[in-house]
Amino acid sequence: MDKCLCAQNIYKSYKDNCVLSGLNLTLEPGKIYGLLGRNGAGKTTLLGVLTAQNRLDSGSVTYGGEPVWENRRALDDICFSRELSGANLSGQNTFKISFYLKAASMFYKHWDGEYAEKLLEEFHLDPDKQICKLSKGQMSMVTIVLGLASRAPLTIFDEPVSGLDVVMRERFYRLLLDDYAETGRTFVVSTHIIEEAAGAFEEVIFLDGGRIIEKAPTEELISQFAYISGLEREVQKAAAGLQVLNRSSIGARTVYAVRGVKPGFRPDADVDVTPMNLQKVFVTMCGHGEEM
Amino acid sequence: MKLDLSDQALIYMQIAQMLEDDILRGAYREDEQVPSTNELARAYNINPATAAKGINLLVADGILYKRRGIGMFVAAGAGEAIRSKRREAFAEKYVTPLLQEGAALGLSRDDIIEMIRSKGESENG
Repeated sequence: MDKCLCAQNIYKSYKDNCVLSGLNLTLEPGKIYGLLGRNGAGKTTLLGVLTAQNRLDSGSVTYGGEPVWENRRALDDICFSRELSGANLSGQNTFKISFYLKAASMFYKHWDGEYAEKLLEEFHLDPDKQICKLSKGQMSMVTIVLGLASRAPLTIFDEPVSGLDVVMRERFYRLLLDDYAETGRTFVVSTHIIEEAAGAFEEVIFLDGGRIIEKAPTEELISQFAYISGLEREVQKAAAGLQVLNRSSIGARTVYAVRGVKPGFRPDADVDVTPMNLQKVFVTMCGHGEEM
Repeated sequence: MKLDLSDQALIYMQIAQMLEDDILRGAYREDEQVPSTNELARAYNINPATAAKGINLLVADGILYKRRGIGMFVAAGAGEAIRSKRREAFAEKYVTPLLQEGAALGLSRDDIIEMIRSKGESENG
């Protein structure tokens, strides 16, 4: 339970496309991490290599100091609940939900069948239904059931809420937090729906350009950022000594997105200071100017 | 019931502020128990670590105290501690923006003082 997952200098390419390039990451036990990255940033690839489902080109991934690759002891503790697909190599995915549960019960050492049953009921899922007959939201629910009921000390969800409506998304985070309060196990959740998840994440991880560009306690990170707006001269004065990540203007009003703000920031200039939320921080850091 | 926090302020600060407001309102009296970290986390769908941070802020200010294995309780003199803390922040939080906005509108100090006086009288009377 008290083991770290540690990726050191990992590289992974698909043909000419270098997805992960010299990435370092340490996941400490007992936290809920949010993994955020834009489309194609390599989130799923990263999660795949962290859990030894995809092979690395170079670098190392260890759990409790042992390599994870083909290491049963490490993998007993790790669950990566991938997105399901209605199609597979042979055509439609005609396996039933119950088949996935059976497989999971054999594969995951800490599997909790009773909990899985309870979750199926909660989501109104019929175990006899075939995967290809499920809606996108129901497929997401199956991955959530598999991940939660795995009871794995390190459980990873890839876009668990992507197909869910807003009510079910809230229910997912509620279930996650309930389970976390009970077990204190480690979770990693990747998502594009940032703001409503922000409160659940103790730490956030930003993946961009094949590397981790930020990993920090969520609120500590957010509090460093702000928008400063007003007349350009005043904004410049207020932003002195701060890192300016983005400049924009509308009419005579200039807006700087800045980092390095201290608590109680009150610049000696005629400007407005507006805090950012996690989504704005993410766009500011990973938008690369495309946001304007 | 789903409770909502604004996304404008840091969540743990909002948690601390809400508990303070409830203590000032008399919802929790001295030596009464306040909701636990897990209860707060559940009510607001937030990470327990964040809720704990809000609670710890109040412990550091002497507003809550911990009874090992039981929970968090309102300290003696908590109401007064909150009031004196907020009085100290009052000028910065309310008076400074008031003067700034007044200056931008061309109101003199005397204009503003007069407004406060007449507003105060109409609210009291």
